[in-house]
Amino acid sequence: MAEPISKTDSLAHSGVIFTQHLTTPVFTTVEVHGLSVKDSISITRSSSSIITGQGEFSHDFNEWLYGTGTEYIIAAVGGEGGDPSSKTFTLEGEFNTSNDTSSRSIEYHSTTIVPKEDVAAVVVEDTEGDFQALLTAKAEWKPHQIAKAGDISTLAAAAATLAETVKSSLGLAEAGMEVTKILAKLQNINPLLIALDKLADEVIKQIQDLKEAGYYYLFVDPYFQKNVTPSQPYDYGLEQLRNQAGSRIFLTLNKTSGEFEEQIEGSPSGFPSLKQIKSGDVKPSLASPRKLIPGGYNSQDPTVDPLKTVSKFPTFRVSETINEFIKAFDDEGDVPRYKALGKVSAAPKIGEDVYDTDGNPYKGWDPTKDYGLALFNIGKPQEDGSIIKDYVSARKPINSKVSVGKPSILGNTEFDGGSGAIAIIIGAPDFKEFTDVFNKFSAMFADIPEFSPTMGKNLLDSLTEIITPNPVIVNITMLDTNYGEFIAGDVIGSKKYGSYGKIKSIDPNKTVPTVMVGKKQVQVLDDLGNDLRDNNGNVLSQVITVDQNPDGRYQNMELVVSPIRGIDSLNSFIPGDRVNEQEVRGTGGFGEDIFPNYVMKGLGSGGHPMATRVYPKTALVAKETLMVLPDSTLPDFGGIQIKDIVPGWGEFFQTLENFVKQLKGMISDSAAFIQDMIDMIKQIQAFLEYMIKIIDEFLKFFQITLPSAGVYALYIPNQNGGTEGIKAELKAAGGIPDLGYSMGILFVGTEGDKLIAGGGSKNPIDLLALVLGLL
Amino acid sequence: MAVQNDWKEAEIRRDDIKQLLENTKKLADMYSDLLQVKKEGWENVLKGNIRRAEREKEKQNG
Repeated sequence: MAEPISKTDSLAHSGVIFTQHLTTPVFTTVEVHGLSVKDSISITRSSSSIITGQGEFSHDFNEWLYGTGTEYIIAAVGGEGGDPSSKTFTLEGEFNTSNDTSSRSIEYHSTTIVPKEDVAAVVVEDTEGDFQALLTAKAEWKPHQIAKAGDISTLAAAAATLAETVKSSLGLAEAGMEVTKILAKLQNINPLLIALDKLADEVIKQIQDLKEAGYYYLFVDPYFQKNVTPSQPYDYGLEQLRNQAGSRIFLTLNKTSGEFEEQIEGSPSGFPSLKQIKSGDVKPSLASPRKLIPGGYNSQDPTVDPLKTVSKFPTFRVSETINEFIKAFDDEGDVPRYKALGKVSAAPKIGEDVYDTDGNPYKGWDPTKDYGLALFNIGKPQEDGSIIKDYVSARKPINSKVSVGKPSILGNTEFDGGSGAIAIIIGAPDFKEFTDVFNKFSAMFADIPEFSPTMGKNLLDSLTEIITPNPVIVNITMLDTNYGEFIAGDVIGSKKYGSYGKIKSIDPNKTVPTVMVGKKQVQVLDDLGNDLRDNNGNVLSQVITVDQNPDGRYQNMELVVSPIRGIDSLNSFIPGDRVNEQEVRGTGGFGEDIFPNYVMKGLGSGGHPMATRVYPKTALVAKETLMVLPDSTLPDFGGIQIKDIVPGWGEFFQTLENFVKQLKGMISDSAAFIQDMIDMIKQIQAFLEYMIKIIDEFLKFFQITLPSAGVYALYIPNQNGGTEGIKAELKAAGGIPDLGYSMGILFVGTEGDKLIAGGGSKNPIDLLALVLGLL
Repeated sequence: MAVQNDWKEAEIRRDDIKQLLENTKKLADMYSDLLQVKKEGWENVLKGNIRRAEREKEKQNG
């Protein structure tokens, strides 16, 4: 037994699992284990009866005591030669885990002592390893394995368990049949047993294939987490008056009278020309008082109506998405990234030396920054105060991996295989169509975390909110009833901050006269109506309170308003801003994204004769009240609730395993036992029916084929040019229009050493192309 | 000569998940059939046991 080093600082690895159906099971740890071949570990706790372990737990330290437990020796780590960032290992000796139906999980400590001189040598070694904090990356590469994330992985795991259970129970089926003495039946079910066996094999193989098919994926998302910035091309300019049809009004010099007269754009055709404007004979009729608005008069390009070239939604063109795909391969910041663990105060101080997995020291540590390698502290010294003997056991990790970095195929000198990619872009000429297609796409790829419905407010919600913002409650005050009261259906717009909205409803109970209290000084009179004076002869006066709204001309109201997105985004109603009634004058936008152009009602009529002037309803914003959001409408993808039933599946399979065990020992012929067996079978049949029903529900989703309109795919089959080859292909590929709204996902796969997908390829990307229907 | 790969409008499918679900469903279905046979077998054994017990009882009663 190894000598105990520290009772509190030895790093316990919990949640370590090992494989079934092997004589040398592979152990997988949650964190990097840091073990080497011939290291010893002591297993303190185990769920298994094959690989056992029992340690002593200290309630004082709330920790397994170091060195207690059952000792095992490490046979191999992360494959041949070991791997410093490995999370897998095997043990010396043979352990047949074929019948180990437990959860196969253990908890252990490393108990290998590193010789004192080794540690000292490592610590005093070269301290030149200075390094820089890495820049923050934008769209980052992430690893992806189909059937390894989200609801779909849970479903795949359940399918695998079912297949394995079926297989292990099949061996017992014939014996069971003999006991039940239905040999005639057995003859009939033999083909069924064979078919079941084959099908179970197929399911296991299919899951294996999917699990081994690992990719990198890059998600270019301008709208949700916004790892790229969409542009909103508009300029500010002075508000120009428009007629009721929305055409711009210009003022043309009447050379006879010397006066400027109103003339509408396009009447006659070609009016106004650039020459006319430059000469000063024509000028824009600007709103008074002057006001800068997005999409206002553009003196640099006065003949083009700016309203016709703007969009209310942030645009990210297809060409920009493709560019992001290409750029991401060169992103210097997109490398494996480690973030400090725990509180900053608990980490080594800025500038303190920190150590890598091999014990090499580094300077330049700053707990607030990300670094590109796993780091550790020096560890605590022996309780007796002597130098650290086992650096590996005494140290504690001070950071953990938060991103994997881009696939650096050519950067890996040992990589001599190929690489391939699949790029998918959702592109549409208008935002509504874009969100419709995206909705279907995200449901179909719910196994990609960014699209997962379990993220709470997901991407789709985010897009929906852009199109249909949640209603807000706007409290207004000093509504001047002389110009009319607001009613549901009115569109209001604020004067200073460019917020717009349509009134959905008004709470009549909250429409009350505005309290407008004033004070004034009045002279004090006697009963005869004469001024009262003090002893010095000064007139006496007093301050009295005056109701300045005695007839209720000014009102307070509470409006429920559906916000309308302005050209420059969605603006809140700010207290103190004035809101006026709006009217539509023409439209803005282009293509399918046409929107009404709201301007203040009667704008421009101020200079007209009194009788023809039009005044808007008007009030001041008191405040905006938070509004409880409406519940989402079911069903959505998450509505199937596989996560709710999957724990049930787990219990079910446990029952099934017990049942199988019972089958083994069905020697008893007592009526009670047989009746139990029959009841058990009935229950399992009922559960299987339930499971089939749920699968049918899921299948309904996946029977959907995404419509081709709006979804563009580029398949780059396995090739030997590395990342440069993929970049070149991405740059050269044609056949996609440069639409205004887009987002994209790029999968990259590298060639492995095993044939997959039925032996057709070594690159999982080819398997992905097959299952996505791109081949 | 290398073939230029171009973007195409594609009807994206998820055959991987579909196949997995369909196979799992088939597996559950077939396993259910097997259990049905087993259940009938056990029911026969139970009936046989009851009949045998009754016969023995009749025998004992003379």
